Amino acid sequence: MQPDFALQAEPAPAARALTCPSCGGGVELRAAGYTVHVACQYCGSILDVTDPQVKLVTAYNQQSAELEIPLGTRGTLRGVEWEAIGYLQRSENGAYGWEEYLLFNPYHGYRWLVKVRGGWSLGEALTVTPDWLSYDQLGVGEEAFDHFFADGEARVDYVLGEFYWRVALGERVATADWVRAGAMLSREANGHEVSWTRNAWLPPKELQKAFGIQPEAGIWPPLPHQPSPWGGWIKTGLKLGAVAFAFLLLFAIFFGGSQWSAAGSFAITADGREQTATLGPITLPRRYQSVHLRAEVPRLENGWVDLDYSLVDRRTQQVYEAYGAAERYSGSDSDGPWSEGSGSAEVSIASVPAGIYDLVVEYKGNRWTGTGSYSADGAGWLDPANVPEVKVEMRQGVLYASNLLIALFLIAIPLLFALVRHIAFETARKSESDFATSAEDDDE
Amino acid sequence: MSLHLPCPNCGADVVFRSPALPNRVCDYCRSMLVRSDAGVARVGEVAALPFDVSPVQIGMHGRVEDKGFEVIGRVRWAWTDGAWNEWLLLFEDGTNAWLGEAMGQFMLLWERPFAQVRTRTLREIADGNEAIPGAEVQLDNEKLVIADAREVICVAAEGELPFTAGTGWKLYSVDLRGRHGECATLQRDDQEVTFYQGRYVTLPELAPRGLRAIEGWALPSYAA
Repeated sequence: MQPDFALQAEPAPAARALTCPSCGGGVELRAAGYTVHVACQYCGSILDVTDPQVKLVTAYNQQSAELEIPLGTRGTLRGVEWEAIGYLQRSENGAYGWEEYLLFNPYHGYRWLVKVRGGWSLGEALTVTPDWLSYDQLGVGEEAFDHFFADGEARVDYVLGEFYWRVALGERVATADWVRAGAMLSREANGHEVSWTRNAWLPPKELQKAFGIQPEAGIWPPLPHQPSPWGGWIKTGLKLGAVAFAFLLLFAIFFGGSQWSAAGSFAITADGREQTATLGPITLPRRYQSVHLRAEVPRLENGWVDLDYSLVDRRTQQVYEAYGAAERYSGSDSDGPWSEGSGSAEVSIASVPAGIYDLVVEYKGNRWTGTGSYSADGAGWLDPANVPEVKVEMRQGVLYASNLLIALFLIAIPLLFALVRHIAFETARKSESDFATSAEDDDE
Repeated sequence: MSLHLPCPNCGADVVFRSPALPNRVCDYCRSMLVRSDAGVARVGEVAALPFDVSPVQIGMHGRVEDKGFEVIGRVRWAWTDGAWNEWLLLFEDGTNAWLGEAMGQFMLLWERPFAQVRTRTLREIADGNEAIPGAEVQLDNEKLVIADAREVICVAAEGELPFTAGTGWKLYSVDLRGRHGECATLQRDDQEVTFYQGRYVTLPELAPRGLRAIEGWALPSYAA
């Protein structure tokens, strides 16, 4: 199909060639028409190309830096092919130096590839003006950025390649930065213009893929907008941990132990005498198991029941002992009615080996003889006419609450570790901010 | 509907597509021509356009708000620190707009009578005051920020134009930006003030057909 408009017969050439008036080297202009200044790649002189007659602006003799991304190199970042056409070294008046590569694609315009302390970002000039959300927060679209650096001044220390404005060595702009995880918002201003750039943090892997740059390890402290590597990990870890723990809990509830089985009920005499009851035989099948014992005294009121359990192995006469007491009091005073304790008591004996056992229960009921009004008018709950009973139940199993706690602890260890690292990362990241809220700043 | 006339300088066929656009640069001899009832007169010569790698070219088609346009003219401006293109778009309904192309970004601007602009700061700038970058300006219901203010000079032109863009024509130009991509430009010379208002656009949202092919670069997928 023929297009209904005139196409140029030949594609327009992409580059314009010129000769450096300082060293005679061939200089290629990759963004012709946009480019104002080009720094000769051979001698570093800065040339003005706005005129057909190329003018020498500054003869610059610094040996051209060995660039990590030689100018003219192309790489694909986030789906778009870019060519590195310019290179700047900038600093805060000589300190905290950083590097900026200018990327160009005739159909997509310009981007900045910024390297600070080994970390890379992809910068795009904004066509929107940020909104103040609060005195130290700016909003762009749906994103909020916190103020990080204020009153900075960036100076151009070294320049190579081409630029869409007149770059001069020593050129200064006022800077300020706002950050959010994964992105930084930078403001640059001089007497003529104010520009805003959104710099997206680039994972080292992306740069390696695009321009073959080996990732640098140990960027510390982290860059202001570097997302914590532990943040996502913790989120995923918490979810996985919760699922794992819920599963363990369910598993424990459904499969971990056996049911309580009523072992026997015994009457408690009113005279407070110690009584003994023997239950058995009880078969414990597992190599080792815990034995849980529960005593219930439904009618216990203003008194206690002492319980001494002895689990006796019929074969070896080995004894495993436990002690339990159920106590319950109630009454009424100037604050109104009160009660404490309960009519049941639970104890566990851990690690009982397999065997056939008898459970010997020694128990004794006691009445509270304090000044309580209840006990004064009779035998109370130990009324012989209404013999109270203690019901002893038993359960065996491998489940200990401590097992679950250990599981929880094991799940939590890596999460805690990550959390500690995350907090250290975030603290270090924020420590450089002019708006740090950390304690170090308050100490001054 | 278009009017074909011979160039008074070289005789080449010159097309005038819109009655609203009296100016035309002859594609062959680069004469600046002005059309009036009396015919076509040559008012000067325009410098050759310097080589550039803009993806836009005369003849490019596109759509804005469901209205088709064609790129029919261009003025190239320069300031002390750079240069940019203003492409003239002619819409199907005969109206026109400008597509400003600077630093890889595109602004779509419609001319608006300056008499309608009530902003005090802008009125003062029109009266000869300096614009202060960073200053906020209330325009209708929008808050704009002065992003850029400088002396600019017309370098070259091509195609059809609504005014005589002579090489060397000097203007004071002020760019404004809004929070959500709104933009405006005020241009002032000795005679008059013109005001343009619009928004930032991206090339893909103009659905361009007939982008300029540039050697070594793949045409973007949106232009296929």
